[in-house]
Amino acid sequence: MSYFTKTIRGVAVAALTLVASTTFAQEELKIIAPAGPGGGWDSAARSIQQVLTQNGLAKSVQVVNVPGAGGTIGLAQFVNTAKGDPSQLLVNGITMVGAILSNKAPVNLDQVTPIARLTGDPLVIVVPANSPIKAIEELAAAVKADPAKVTWAGGSAGGADHILAALFTKAAGSDPAKVNYVAFSGGGEALAAMLGGKVTAGVSGYGEFESQIKAGKLRALALSAGKRLAGVDVPTLKEQGMNVEVVNWRAIMGAPDITDEERKALTDKIEKVVQSKEWAEILKQKGWDDYYLAGEPFQAFLKEEQERVGEVLRSVGLVKS
Amino acid sequence: MDAFFALGQGFLVALEPTKLLFAGIGVLLGTAVGVLPGIGPALTVALLLPVTFKLDPTGSIIMFAGIYYGGMYGGSTTAILINAPGESASVATAIEGNKMAKAGRGGPALATSAIGSFVAGTFATIGLAFFAPLLVQLAVSFGPWDYFALMVLAFVTVSATFGESPLRGLTSLAIGLMLGLVGIDILTGQARMAFGVPELLDGVEVTTLAVGLFAVGEALYVASRFKGNPEEIVPIKGSLWMSREDWRRSWRPWLRGAALGFPIGALPAGGAEVPTFLSYVTEKKLSKHPDEFGHGAIEGVAGPEAANNASAAGTLVPLLTLGLPTSATAAIMLAGFQQYGLNPGPLLFTENPALVWGVVASLFIANAMLLVLNLPLVGLWVRLLAIPQPWLYAGILVFAAMGTVAANPSVVEVGMLFVFGFLGLLMRRWDYPVAPMVVGLILGPMAEAQIRRSMQITLGDPLVFFENPGSATLLMLAAIALLAPFAMKGLSRFRAAED
Amino acid sequence: MMMSLLARRRADKRALVMGLALIVLAIVVERDAAAQTVASTYGIGPTAMPIAVAGFLAVLGVGHFVAAFRDGMPVPEHADGIAIAWIALGLIALLLCIAFGGGFVLATTLLFVVTARAFGRRVLLADAAIGFGLGVSIHLLFSKLLTLSLPAGPLERLFYRSS
Repeated sequence: MSYFTKTIRGVAVAALTLVASTTFAQEELKIIAPAGPGGGWDSAARSIQQVLTQNGLAKSVQVVNVPGAGGTIGLAQFVNTAKGDPSQLLVNGITMVGAILSNKAPVNLDQVTPIARLTGDPLVIVVPANSPIKAIEELAAAVKADPAKVTWAGGSAGGADHILAALFTKAAGSDPAKVNYVAFSGGGEALAAMLGGKVTAGVSGYGEFESQIKAGKLRALALSAGKRLAGVDVPTLKEQGMNVEVVNWRAIMGAPDITDEERKALTDKIEKVVQSKEWAEILKQKGWDDYYLAGEPFQAFLKEEQERVGEVLRSVGLVKS
Repeated sequence: MDAFFALGQGFLVALEPTKLLFAGIGVLLGTAVGVLPGIGPALTVALLLPVTFKLDPTGSIIMFAGIYYGGMYGGSTTAILINAPGESASVATAIEGNKMAKAGRGGPALATSAIGSFVAGTFATIGLAFFAPLLVQLAVSFGPWDYFALMVLAFVTVSATFGESPLRGLTSLAIGLMLGLVGIDILTGQARMAFGVPELLDGVEVTTLAVGLFAVGEALYVASRFKGNPEEIVPIKGSLWMSREDWRRSWRPWLRGAALGFPIGALPAGGAEVPTFLSYVTEKKLSKHPDEFGHGAIEGVAGPEAANNASAAGTLVPLLTLGLPTSATAAIMLAGFQQYGLNPGPLLFTENPALVWGVVASLFIANAMLLVLNLPLVGLWVRLLAIPQPWLYAGILVFAAMGTVAANPSVVEVGMLFVFGFLGLLMRRWDYPVAPMVVGLILGPMAEAQIRRSMQITLGDPLVFFENPGSATLLMLAAIALLAPFAMKGLSRFRAAED
Repeated sequence: MMMSLLARRRADKRALVMGLALIVLAIVVERDAAAQTVASTYGIGPTAMPIAVAGFLAVLGVGHFVAAFRDGMPVPEHADGIAIAWIALGLIALLLCIAFGGGFVLATTLLFVVTARAFGRRVLLADAAIGFGLGVSIHLLFSKLLTLSLPAGPLERLFYRSS
């Protein structure tokens, strides 16, 4: 898997010349996607790029991929080289919150300027079609009886999938440290393990399992979002009496140490993006759920999420405090 | 019968002039970009995805198919010519292919890889068209224990070919296994052997190691002997094309390569590397000219290249039937499908049969087009080796650097290329084989993850490997492969005694 | 028999060096594994494989020591150290260009020139021109056709300004 990235080192000089002419500074934007091309963060960055240029909100927008270590390499570069530069943005999400902790990254999200939360994809808990487990209570009961015997398949350790499995185990009345979570590298492998009935249950973004669920190969037990998805007949965990909510959110961040005016200008721009019909079109096409939140409430959300994720990762033993 | 009819329909779609044009453009772009070292099929498809934005779904996916197959062809060209495999699946091809190229047999090497890819690709595509639903059953029934047994088989068979000294071969393998430890442990998310360097968290890239050891190491080694004992590179010796002998020695490896590559490629965690190495080993074992291996045996190019392309078609089985992306390329193709609101999966064949069969048919067409495109290019490629050696090796280093920098322009990555290059030089001078190191890096992490998943799922019951028919069979094969050489020796002694 | 072998041959230095290097690697791997804090709740933990690899490396290290006193290792032919040093210089130049924003074109030009020098060429200007041409065409191919930007330096920026 040879993925492409670009350093931003050396371009700092160019960025400085841009800053010098402040009136035009925001016309040429750069969005860092801290992942390889093709993934969720990359396509979010490219979608924003598309809407910004189509609507004339920016003269040109460049997307730069800096993959690695759950986005923390991109974050570190952003923190170190974009300081005070209002023309640079960074896409991130819940996975980065976990990666910062489990990778012991030297930087964290307090160092960047939060702009807005954009999308939030619900996760789904599924079991193979031939599983004896028919409802979420039965899964909860099985977890409560012996968490070791309930094997979960999902994405990378410490990611959103793992967090949901741990929170579910806790809500079911068992010790999250005992969750038997089997991490798979790609979505495909986890799905195969599930279709082959090698594991008890699986967690993933709803979109990734949608066609399997519709075809009846997997049974969806619950969604992890706060509300149901339009047109999808799967109840949420909260509806079924389990107070668990995990959303795979994506957000956009501004550079460290930008002024309040600069932050406001960027927030306005992003708001225009989110309100455009092109954005609505993209959400529909990619199957993303709108989860827009900006300003103070977003900052508060980010703080809460950081604490919550930290607590979960400590409870499953991935992070030693 | 239904499948035949549907495939006929598919050909009607794919043979429309505009669709043919899309397939042609895809093939051309895929080959052109895939030839660049460090840019494998996955990145090729990712880069060219935007090109297909404006086409209709069928047209764009047909173009994808062309790009995908084209990228696979391109990767082997650099492996053979300049010993710089563009992707991990071309590593096995580079071993014999580059030796052939230097001995003036680059023409037959490129030709056997192109024709072998065509043959294997065609057989595999037939397999995809008719056996996909059956094969996919097998694919999902493969559990972590079965994968682990497959890795054991691969280790055992591959390590039998480690050159004259088992000590030095195993040392090379062990260092590869050690490099495979670097990075985040997938099951616990913990950093291992990263020493606080964030760039190491994602592990050592196989292509960086292979290009460093093979291409950079080779350039250093040749330079070190240039004054006293200059290496002779013969661009063309004998026929530019495959001789009758070459054909005779190639066709069986092509078929065996396809037979290994397609089913393993269809496994969700099978990959393209395992079948290419298995094919290499098989050909070495079965060849009537085992002494030629290591000096440019054509079977060692024909088999792995066929396996490589067949496994590429194999990955389409779970992708089209289950929506399972089992390789980086497939993941990006899935993104491409979804861009048009198409969800590959169990329903795609019933919901959109015209599209699916159109894709399958265009795979046949892309394959044929690639053959037509690549065979005339052979003469041109081979002439590159006529460049005076100072410029040739300078160019090889520039291309090696380009591949690494394009994949990841970090100082750490280039530093690794540098270190691996010198390691390659040292190993050549002290007569350590370099290939086992790459094998260790590829297979080590896969084997580790699968055995740990097995133990996690069964709560630590090692009997799982023997209770499952799949893993039990594979382990038995591994045991036979391990013991057969001794048994053979005994047998031949027995025969000799009888005479 | 063993003793006579020992007496006849002096220890092979290269095998000793390799043996020592392998033992050192084994210790590094083992130490790194020992520093791991997170264990798996079920099955095999993240330290099992490193410990196995460390053991393997250590055994091979000992194997090299034994080999040093028995067959030794094949004797390498004479190497032209200066040629190797030239290429090393080129690779270091590449590294520095990436690290300090010298740009891809400058890096490839330097790498090309010194590699050609390592192979005995002394026509500096012609080689520089070829290397530069190669670098520029690769850069243009990547930035214009593939919309991938290779590392940019002063040369590349000059290029973008004028175009």
